[in-house]
Amino acid sequence: MALVERRVDPITTEIIRSAFTAAADEMNATLIRSAYTPIIYEMKDCSVALLDAEHRILGQSAGLPIFLGNLEICTRLTEELYGREVWRPDDIWIMNDSYLTGTHLNDMTVFGPIFHEGELVGFAASRAHWLDVGAKDAGGPMDSTEIFQEGMRLGPTRVVEGGVQRADVTDLLGRNSRFSYPAIGDLGAQIACARTGQIRLRAIMDQYGPETIAGARDEIFAQTERLEREAVEAIPDGVYRAEGCLDDSGVSPEPCWVRLSVEVRGDEMTIDLTETDDSQPGPVNCGEAQAISACRVAYKVLINPANPPNGGAFRPLHVRVRPGSMLGAQPPAPCQWYFSQLGLLIDLVVRALSEVLPAQAAAASYGDSMIIGFSGVDHRNGQPFFDLEPTVGGWGAWEGSDGQDGLINNVNGSLKDLAIEVLETKFPIRMTEYGFRPDTGGPGQWRGGNGVVREYTLDAEAAELSLWFERSRTPAWGLFGGHEAKPPEVVINPGRDDERHLLKASRVPLRRGDVVRTMTGGGGGFGDPARRDPEAVRVDVREGHLSLEAAREIYGAGVSE
Amino acid sequence: MSRYRVSMDIGGTFTDVVAYDESTGAYVASKSSTTPQDLTEGVFKALEAVVESPADIGFTVHGTTQGLNAFLQRRGEKVLLLATSGAGDVYHIARGNRTRLYDIHYRKPTPLVSRSDIVSVAGRLDYAGEELEPLDEDAIRSAARRVRDDGFGAVAVGFLFSYVNPAHELRAEEILLEELDGVAISLSHRVAREWREYERTSSAVVDAYTAPVVRRYLKRLESEMTERGLSVPLHVMQSSGGIVTSQSARDLSLQTLLSGPVGGTMGGVALARILDRPNLICIDMGGTSFDVSLVVDGKPDVSSETTLEGFPLLMSIVNIHTVGAGGGSLAYAEAGGLRVGPESAGADPGPACYGRGGTRPTVTDANLVLGRVDPAYFAGGQMTLDREAAESALARLGAELDLSATDLAEGVCDVINAKMAQAIRTLTVEKGIEPRDFALVAFGGAGPMHAVFLAQQLEIGEVIVPRFPGAFSAWGMLETEIRKDSGRAYFTPLAALDHADLAATLGTLEEEAFASLAEEGIGAETGRVEHALDLRYVGQEYTLTIPLTGSQEPTEDDFDANLGARFHAAHQQRFGHSNSGAPIEIVVVRTTALGDLGRIDPIAHEEVEKPAAARETRTVIFGREAIPTTIVIRDDLSHGATLEGPAVVEEATATTVVPPGVTLRVDAFGSLVITASNRKES
Repeated sequence: MALVERRVDPITTEIIRSAFTAAADEMNATLIRSAYTPIIYEMKDCSVALLDAEHRILGQSAGLPIFLGNLEICTRLTEELYGREVWRPDDIWIMNDSYLTGTHLNDMTVFGPIFHEGELVGFAASRAHWLDVGAKDAGGPMDSTEIFQEGMRLGPTRVVEGGVQRADVTDLLGRNSRFSYPAIGDLGAQIACARTGQIRLRAIMDQYGPETIAGARDEIFAQTERLEREAVEAIPDGVYRAEGCLDDSGVSPEPCWVRLSVEVRGDEMTIDLTETDDSQPGPVNCGEAQAISACRVAYKVLINPANPPNGGAFRPLHVRVRPGSMLGAQPPAPCQWYFSQLGLLIDLVVRALSEVLPAQAAAASYGDSMIIGFSGVDHRNGQPFFDLEPTVGGWGAWEGSDGQDGLINNVNGSLKDLAIEVLETKFPIRMTEYGFRPDTGGPGQWRGGNGVVREYTLDAEAAELSLWFERSRTPAWGLFGGHEAKPPEVVINPGRDDERHLLKASRVPLRRGDVVRTMTGGGGGFGDPARRDPEAVRVDVREGHLSLEAAREIYGAGVSE
Repeated sequence: MSRYRVSMDIGGTFTDVVAYDESTGAYVASKSSTTPQDLTEGVFKALEAVVESPADIGFTVHGTTQGLNAFLQRRGEKVLLLATSGAGDVYHIARGNRTRLYDIHYRKPTPLVSRSDIVSVAGRLDYAGEELEPLDEDAIRSAARRVRDDGFGAVAVGFLFSYVNPAHELRAEEILLEELDGVAISLSHRVAREWREYERTSSAVVDAYTAPVVRRYLKRLESEMTERGLSVPLHVMQSSGGIVTSQSARDLSLQTLLSGPVGGTMGGVALARILDRPNLICIDMGGTSFDVSLVVDGKPDVSSETTLEGFPLLMSIVNIHTVGAGGGSLAYAEAGGLRVGPESAGADPGPACYGRGGTRPTVTDANLVLGRVDPAYFAGGQMTLDREAAESALARLGAELDLSATDLAEGVCDVINAKMAQAIRTLTVEKGIEPRDFALVAFGGAGPMHAVFLAQQLEIGEVIVPRFPGAFSAWGMLETEIRKDSGRAYFTPLAALDHADLAATLGTLEEEAFASLAEEGIGAETGRVEHALDLRYVGQEYTLTIPLTGSQEPTEDDFDANLGARFHAAHQQRFGHSNSGAPIEIVVVRTTALGDLGRIDPIAHEEVEKPAAARETRTVIFGREAIPTTIVIRDDLSHGATLEGPAVVEEATATTVVPPGVTLRVDAFGSLVITASNRKES
């Protein structure tokens, strides 16, 4: 292999590469250990990156997958807005504008320039989900129709000036949150994280000097680019398409279509999202930056899952977004549930490329968060309560393996379900059933995973229910002859006169004894069910993942108990 | 005749025995190959080398991997799980989280009990332990029949809210005992009396799965020891760093599951006391992994929860952070760049220099080519290394990267050292600790070879290589004490606390703790009981464990204010901020019973002022330069001996590398104390 001319030896380069990654890990450790709210330290709804002076990633630490590579846009846009001379040592900035950062207003990005011997050498940035940013409903609304209902909106704003945290900006942020203690606590954690990045990059600069760093950085980027171009090159040239829809926008009944084409030509890949539907009246829009991030997640899963991303990553990838579409939101489009269509988008990219990357692909999963929320007053102590939970579901099968039963969605990463004992202790709610939902995974040579049932009974006088369940119109699809999965369902008071079926809802009044039964969908199957090993069918029946009737109907005669 | 204190540590490859002769004040260590088919064989072989007869033993402690091996190889008992009706799938849903984020082929760990071996039993308690629905006793009787008919060897019982009110689990046990004989029963509240049904059930299942294996083994070992004349109780190391009698270990076998590596940390705790250095970072580097643990203020860093291959376990455990870096870590080229680890050559084929067919260079090959390892004296001379094989493996990779074999060799060491140092730094940042304030204790075969380089990167001033670095874990077991932990869920906001009730709960726990110490043969005079509360700010998920001054502290004036102040301070230290205005809640009450069994007061050796006698001079590469280097045998070093780097100290189980510009001194207890420059090398 012909190597590019190398200015730094491979040993120093590798030590610097791992020093960049370690610096990002240290920033992440600082953020996680000092964050106030569980959304950050438990759900890892955050992301950190160390950038060079040209806004390229030196190191990024694992956080929420869909935050992949969307921090550099914040420093870049700030510079475009105010000029490069705006950067001053020991300043730290904050912003959350959906149209700039791409996500919802709960996600606060905090970043600071890094100076070394008077020169701008990079940036340290983190993004983290704040519990509440003052939207019309606590946490965030499910039926907003413009961004002004979703909370405070900040363009790039200095929160630390010359090393001193600004009291006025901090006060403003605190006053605009229903939970101001956690908000200020999380701000403190993000500032500490940026400072850690500043200290670590300066230390690395001191140790190796800017010239060696620059040489090593270029070589590190070149290595990553080489790896990715080889992987893209190996994909047959062509144009690959997929489309799917969200059920509705939350405030209007029409489905919302995400349509994409992936063009592979040589060692370049272009994902074209311009055919996606226009901006929606409900909160299922996102800024362009986040649509690009979602494409990067899908690309990474298929092309280069193992290596931490850096400035050489994603160079072969181009993304086309149409401004004014639901993936290129313009003011004042609502963006609270920005990730529902992104989870779908990631699955669709995998689907589009599955015919040429069958070994890397998987059938679709059950969808996104499947959120249920209860709020009211707990009669046991007279205090208000607020329970907001995502729900696990079935994942898609792939070549050689069944899909997983009851697993959290792609977008939510390492999130855990809420334990029954914790739920019932903290909230006036009883969980009467939590278990798998047999027959919901898509049949196939490899079957999709099953969804779950979670059944709640209200134990307080009254409460309000919110729901965000999705993908009933595009249930998890199968691949290569595998069948699609069963969609989600939510039933209020099943079997009673007032039985109701809903998927999305905002502030539905409930009374004591009301039952809410949520059922998530399964994952898609992979390969023709006729080719499924009869022994695997028998085991599924024995283990209760498949009913005997379904086994006979799908996998044919010869199935016995 | 009871002149020996003896510890026995059964590892995957070797069984280590360390004996302390109370009549002479001398330690002896011996080693034998672990005999997986019958572990007692290896134990007695190593024991015979240091102690004439078990009758001469006055105290003995034992660390075993028997339960762990059964778990890792999935050779445990066949378990039937009883769960609350409506929540039977909780064990398989396993909280639904993923640990690898960019993996659409992610798989949860395969549960130890299949779904069809989980029996749902009606009977429901509410959050306060009040019965909503009575226990279905017939269902338990029919489950017992299934146990008999289908040959289950163990039953785990995990009912909702049993940590508040164990009545249903206890009744289930009664019925099972009536119906069954010789079947192990693990009740979730007894294994871990804490909330979160999945974690508690998982702990009970692992206990049921491994306990019968551990019990059979301990019974066998104990009876053989007794037969050979042992007259004192056999003690067993626990994951918490404390020990219990083997009698108790049979009841609490889960606590012994991860007993092996913990001995090293407890050795660190003993060193902290003996050397009066309260803050230590302990590193254990072997063939495939690099373990880091901390001693802070003279105490081991213990937490109340861990995971094993993805399965949560609620139990006291010394935190050991494992990084994929070891002597077997492979170096390779990727996209024109050098990479080292985490992939390992393992033991087979192992490094190229083992001559077992490995052709890819490893960290051990690099150390050999640099002259830091003596090919004729590896593992105490048990193995001869093939230097040419190492060199050609490095030369092949070097050609790809345009580097000479020796430059690459030093580069491989530099890269793995940088990775290990970064792992230590990230771990300490997570704990709110500054590594510069700590000394580094290095053990394991490869630890002392790399320790000084790590210290230099972390700006740590002092590296300590204890005696018997290859058997340090066994040594550490000799230095610990009886420990029994119990926890109980106690969920209340501090503002609503019933002080008398908490004091009464603690009083009951204290009585139970002293009673359990009595079972260990510990009387009130040598036993002590400590209490602590797991606290957090309302709305948080994670807790901090805050010690109490005694069981009656809650009844004291200003208890809430004092406790709050302690919690805020701990939060500030650990997380970098605190929130003195925010409400606090109690989640768990913890009680630890400790029993002092008497400790060894090591005898300080007299100081002999003389430079160390060199065995030979060998050329070793440091900083791309071949430098004549003093090679010393450790046994030739006595108290007060000093060595200026570059030097290499060789002993049977480890090699200590002392780079140029660094000074080594032997202290009164035989430890090598290396003063690294307190600045980074640039």
